[in-house]
Amino acid sequence: MKDSLTLLARIPAHPDSRCWFLAWNPTGTLLASCGGDRSIRIWGKEGDAWVCKSVLGEGHQRTIRKVAWSPCGNYLASASFDATTCIWKKNQEDFECVATLEGHENEVKSVAWAPSGSLIATCSRDKSVWVWEVDEEDEYECMSVLNSHTQDVKHVIWHPNQELLASASYDDTVKLYREEEDDWVCFTTLEGHESTVWSLAFDLSGERLASCSDDKTVRIWRQYKPGNEQGVICSSTDPTWKCVCTLSGFHTRTIYDVAWCYLTGALATACGDDAVRVFEEEPLSDPQQPIFTLTAHMARAHSQDVNCVAWNPKEPGLLASCSDDGEMAFWKYQRPEA
Amino acid sequence: MAVANEPDAFDAILMAEARFHGEGYQEGYVEGTQAGVMEGRQYGIQQGAKIGLEIGSYLGFSMTWLRLLQKNSDDKHSKKIKVLESLIEMIQKFPHQDPIYDKLQEDLERIRGRFKQVCSLLHIPSDFRLSKEGSALSF
Repeated sequence: MKDSLTLLARIPAHPDSRCWFLAWNPTGTLLASCGGDRSIRIWGKEGDAWVCKSVLGEGHQRTIRKVAWSPCGNYLASASFDATTCIWKKNQEDFECVATLEGHENEVKSVAWAPSGSLIATCSRDKSVWVWEVDEEDEYECMSVLNSHTQDVKHVIWHPNQELLASASYDDTVKLYREEEDDWVCFTTLEGHESTVWSLAFDLSGERLASCSDDKTVRIWRQYKPGNEQGVICSSTDPTWKCVCTLSGFHTRTIYDVAWCYLTGALATACGDDAVRVFEEEPLSDPQQPIFTLTAHMARAHSQDVNCVAWNPKEPGLLASCSDDGEMAFWKYQRPEA
Repeated sequence: MAVANEPDAFDAILMAEARFHGEGYQEGYVEGTQAGVMEGRQYGIQQGAKIGLEIGSYLGFSMTWLRLLQKNSDDKHSKKIKVLESLIEMIQKFPHQDPIYDKLQEDLERIRGRFKQVCSLLHIPSDFRLSKEGSALSF
């Protein structure tokens, strides 16, 4: 089983600091990393080696917690503990900060770009989720401020093909939002985790959502639309998201990140026990009660907490991870032979 | 006669503890209730005033901005005006006479969210100082 995850490269991405997050651009040619050193680095492959193509400094006063590429790949958004979100525009090789989104009261924890490219979501320790609208002139206007969570909001992500937003919080819940008459509303709350929910990932279809938590479990939620064959009750016209699978007993510490590969369907996790794990769904398991099996377990993938895992969007099985030790690593995942 | 009275006298003495205990309880209960009502009233006034001050400030703020923006009749402010109007409507619909309204907190959070949105659109930091005492606008 050990051989199913092979180390390709290990790079001190943010030396003497924490490497918090990684994001592949849509074509999978560039990887953005961010860290406690207040910088963003853009990595590209030259031959067999990953080299730093540019460093985006001076945008933020404090730790950069997350970065997100726009769907067109020409913009990068960065969320920082300095309470701002910067928008960087790519000009050939260089990046220029074209806008700063202000409004959160304190640390911005996450940022995500909607698939249409015209909306951005941010979330913060101030317990709110903000939705921003982008116009043609790179102007960003706040569309909505959502105060649904009762604690620090850790992560936001958009549905892969619908205008549906999900957020995870220190209040142990996941909330889902949709647009309603020029405004955004929370239409459902996913309850089940027993501690902080750290991260979220949709599968390719967007029918399922994975959430990972401080309670050492990953939960898989499935969407049931009104009038579904399974008889899952929906209130009014909104779908119900039901937990169909809980992965417990695999992780020994907090799970900080989860990533669902759109190419292979494999699910990777980043854990506070320094390990990277990969799970796959049993091919013949009941979609209403899927079974996931551990197919790779790389103990000591890093020397400290693993903060993030990210599948390359174009190359199947290419996984990047990063850690509190300031390093990032590239892995080749191969499904074990049955 | 004296013989017939004797058990009652003993009774009165024997039951004295229970009786005074009961009376004391009643007295204490009444006093406690009064004190509780007063404290509750005080707390209610305080909390109610806080909420009133908060949304009243929002209302005055948004009414003023609406007037200012409406003076310039060009289209570029249409979005700001729309959001300001929405905030004003939310405040006017807020049931300030009904303290047991079950969505009070929820509606208040929505008003706060809308106010932050307005501040963002007007490029005003939402923690600016609104009152003379210099208290920041973080209610």
